[in-house]
Amino acid sequence: MIQNLKRYGTLMGFGFIVLFFWANLPETFMTARNWLNISQQVSMLAVIAFTMTIVMVMGDFDLSVGSMASLSGITAALLFAHGYPVAVGLLAGLAVGVVGGLFNGFLVSLVGILPFVATLGTLTMYSGIAFLVSDGKTIFGRDIPRDFSGIARSGLEIPALEITVPFLTILALGVLLLVWFLLEHTAFGRRLYAIGGNYEAARLAGVKVRRLRLIAFGLTGLGAALGGLMLASRVASANPTQGSGLMLDAIAAVFLGMTMSREGEPRVLATLVGVLILGLLDNGLTQMNVDSFVREILVGAIILAAVAISSLGKR
Amino acid sequence: MAFLSLQNVSKSYGAAKALDAVHLAIEPGEVHALMGENGAGKSTLIRILAGVTRPDSMEMMLDGARVRINGPQDAYDLGLRFVHQELNIVAHLSVAENIVLGRAYPRRFGVAVDWKALNRQALGALKRLKITHIDPARKMARLTTGDQMLVKIAALLLDDGAQAARLYVMDEPTATLTGDESQKLFDVIRELTASGASVLYVSHRMNEIMAICDRVTVLRDGRHMATRALSDTGREELIHLMTGRELETAYPPRLSPVQERVHLSCTNLSTAHIADIGFDLRAGEVLGIAGLANTGQSELLLALLGVDKPKSGRITFDGQTKRHNPAAAWRSKIAYIPRERRRDGLMLTRSIIDNITLPHLKKFTRAVGVQSARHERAHAAQLARDVALKSDSLRQPAYQLSGGNQQKVMLARAIGDAPDLLLLDEPTRGVDVGAKYDIYTLIRALSAKGTAVILTSSDLPELTGMCDRILVMRDGKQHAIIDTTGLSPADLLATFYD
Amino acid sequence: MKLATKLAGLLAGAMLATGLAGAAMAQSKVVVITPYLAQPGTQFYVEGFSAAAQSNGWDLNVIDTAGDVAAVISRLEDAVNQNVDAIVINVDPAQVEAGLEVARDAGIPVVGMDSGTSPYLATNVTSNGYAMAVETSVYVADRIGGTGNVVMFVFDAFPPVQIRGVIADAVFGNYPDIAVLDRVTPDVSDGGIADSRAKMEAILAANPEPGSIAAVWAAWDQPALGALQAIEDAGRDNEGIVIVGIDANPQARDAIAAGGNFEASVAQDFVGIGNKTAEMVARLLAGETVKENVVYVPTMLITAANAAQ
Repeated sequence: MIQNLKRYGTLMGFGFIVLFFWANLPETFMTARNWLNISQQVSMLAVIAFTMTIVMVMGDFDLSVGSMASLSGITAALLFAHGYPVAVGLLAGLAVGVVGGLFNGFLVSLVGILPFVATLGTLTMYSGIAFLVSDGKTIFGRDIPRDFSGIARSGLEIPALEITVPFLTILALGVLLLVWFLLEHTAFGRRLYAIGGNYEAARLAGVKVRRLRLIAFGLTGLGAALGGLMLASRVASANPTQGSGLMLDAIAAVFLGMTMSREGEPRVLATLVGVLILGLLDNGLTQMNVDSFVREILVGAIILAAVAISSLGKR
Repeated sequence: MAFLSLQNVSKSYGAAKALDAVHLAIEPGEVHALMGENGAGKSTLIRILAGVTRPDSMEMMLDGARVRINGPQDAYDLGLRFVHQELNIVAHLSVAENIVLGRAYPRRFGVAVDWKALNRQALGALKRLKITHIDPARKMARLTTGDQMLVKIAALLLDDGAQAARLYVMDEPTATLTGDESQKLFDVIRELTASGASVLYVSHRMNEIMAICDRVTVLRDGRHMATRALSDTGREELIHLMTGRELETAYPPRLSPVQERVHLSCTNLSTAHIADIGFDLRAGEVLGIAGLANTGQSELLLALLGVDKPKSGRITFDGQTKRHNPAAAWRSKIAYIPRERRRDGLMLTRSIIDNITLPHLKKFTRAVGVQSARHERAHAAQLARDVALKSDSLRQPAYQLSGGNQQKVMLARAIGDAPDLLLLDEPTRGVDVGAKYDIYTLIRALSAKGTAVILTSSDLPELTGMCDRILVMRDGKQHAIIDTTGLSPADLLATFYD
Repeated sequence: MKLATKLAGLLAGAMLATGLAGAAMAQSKVVVITPYLAQPGTQFYVEGFSAAAQSNGWDLNVIDTAGDVAAVISRLEDAVNQNVDAIVINVDPAQVEAGLEVARDAGIPVVGMDSGTSPYLATNVTSNGYAMAVETSVYVADRIGGTGNVVMFVFDAFPPVQIRGVIADAVFGNYPDIAVLDRVTPDVSDGGIADSRAKMEAILAANPEPGSIAAVWAAWDQPALGALQAIEDAGRDNEGIVIVGIDANPQARDAIAAGGNFEASVAQDFVGIGNKTAEMVARLLAGETVKENVVYVPTMLITAANAAQ
């Protein structure tokens, strides 16, 4: 009984949240359209949380994803403002993510700084760079090409169901699939889990721990940059702080997911549930006219409850 | 006349009976050995006594009165004290602080810690055990493991304000200790029993049990087999009680002669921790590494694995040098089992399969990097059979296994890619008699197939019984290489000293 | 009132009580979405809007996204999904077009409350930035009798402030005897006061004769305050240099009320903008078509005479 509560408590909580909103918003909540909305609303957070899972599998953290998301958006927007084509801006934004991520990896695995400290440092650095290159300004309006902001507004029409699946949703699902495949079905992912299971044992068993950690941080940086570009496209603008709220939510989503596995390991499909819980609360509580400050209290309480339940009987 | 008795102790985990109507009685002032193979139920019984695990049933009498243990505090109030193998020490605090840990520090003017008084209290506790060689002001981290354990025992003594200790339970206390350190512990045990307390002593080491224990209780498969006075019980009888079988010769014989081909060659090798190592190892040969505690045995293996880089000299495998890192080593069929398997070997929360296949994941990679879970499972299952691993399922996390079975998981990992060189650091430490014999048999079988084996051990009969030659180390340097033909453990011990 | 709604929300959320949405069916549902509720100006808008909404009997929901512009889009989508009757935003519409498009497709009118013009908005209610600049620059020209050197503090990188500078340029340009001595863009990363003060000190040093600077015109209050500090510190506060700002923030009002060189600023009527926005919403709900892209709410010149109000 307690075992089941521990393992499935978060999933049950998720189901309860869905049922609760369904009961209170009978006409609007459980509609294809609302769920497509939610999927689009959480897509940026989802991409960042999914790729954050990659480093958290090793027991590491990346606190710099929020500033990285801002920086990649700013990079792309600056190039747009200077007349470069959309593709160049996108590639440059992603490249910034890879470089920044690899720099995090370099600090953590080669220099040997604790991830918390290393990425706290780069969080500030990347944010500073974003302010520096943008002069602290928001880049918007004519500087942002329609082709770029159109990405967030396009979608795949499914005439049979009379719905349009937003492109951002498809992108997030694609990232989910890739990360899931990488972590669960390749030797690379298995080795990351091994590092998380016992760093020293993995090293002595011939796992190239430094190289893997470097690559993993690079991937997290890439995901942060992609999330940042999606965000910039959605708001059709870029400013040096717009991604900063994503970092804590991403870590919270992974933590919520970790409460669902037997040994408390991050799993990317569980991270998805974590992301959805956060997104559903935003969506449903708004529709129920609940104050947004109350929403924050609730989110905090739910994370604590999930972690408390999953550590029941552990002591 | 027993002051403490347990009757009808049972505990089941699902369908498996960990303890089945076991009984145990302790007399005042005795050292009572608790023996049995790994998984026989010793740990469960101790956890029940400590109040950590709830038994399904138990009748417990103390001084003729019925008592209950519902938690660790109850165990403490009844006068039970526990010395665990894994020490809970705070390494960067002083000996004295470790002794008073959890109690109020003596103070001056109500605020400042009174260090003099603190050290005096600690010294008093150490003196009660006639321990004079430990300075209370030293940092705990700078003590040997053995001295750290003595300090923990002294801390238990200091704690005896409310209820005097009646029984000290020691779970494999000597597993991490050297011979000298063990002797000091035995002196302390004598001090404790002289003052009227009793000791429940769990160990796999027959010699120790014969030397210091008065009576023994043997468990097998969760059942009580016998309680005897050790003065009229023989070794063979004890092994028979524990394993249910007659043990053949202690060490299985070599199956085929050592091959001519030199597999590994070290010339004048030095690293940050060891110096002047030079030997040739032939295919199929078993080389022992011996010496006093911490004179570089583990570090020699780490140098061969490529963890410690050579400062001078060279290592060649089949005449070729290789890159010095563990990944390159495993790739060229060098396998390694670390001394501290829980700390450096196992991923405790991960499955047996994951633990076995960790260095060999490449084997199961199919197109575009996809892992074949089916092949991996089949491979792990085969290896688990090869090492006679006992588990409910290969998906069980490693922490649920007994020490012996955990070591078998490490062995299964090591033999997973048919290694040419096997590096074993204390492979039988904390492993029961039956599992030990399985490990010896496995070493012989590998050696017959041409695998060269290097093995460190603090168990001297094991070295002389299993190895073809023994490299004796002193202060991190190679002192001698001895052929084991006709070598007795006593002869070997003599080479450790000048 | 505010506390009571919060408590009600907390109870609803925490105890997960049911049946919250059961308000009367005939009520019009109106949602206000802003990332800036923590800022004083926005709180006044919302205060004015809420008062009018209450008297109209609307079911009002005010959503704050705590600085998160992307979340405004999400909340717009949610509001459309709920099928509200009208939406009010207080954020740059260019950055939330993705959400505005959804509202337009659903035929739900969106009104900007000092947000900027956009084809997606039925209308935008704001203060007239041009008019505010006219008020202060004409005040300066009148006070110095149409003659003298003027120092301007501008910030062309931010559109709403840039238009103020353009107007002042035009007004001063129309007086043949007024010369613009310098057109300074201060560094605003520290709030704008400190750097403006440093810039003004340099200008004062370069023009030491009394009367060589007749006035300081600032496009917002912080540079005006910096210039005031520089002038007082240099001991030149008795030369009759006229300083004006725009926005009339509390610090500026204090300085103006003190009766020194800082003589005037322009206050926006935030509460009035909220009221006016509600009025526009009411007209839209009544089925009226609103022709004006922008609806201006009058501003007020603040001088020593009315600064304390």
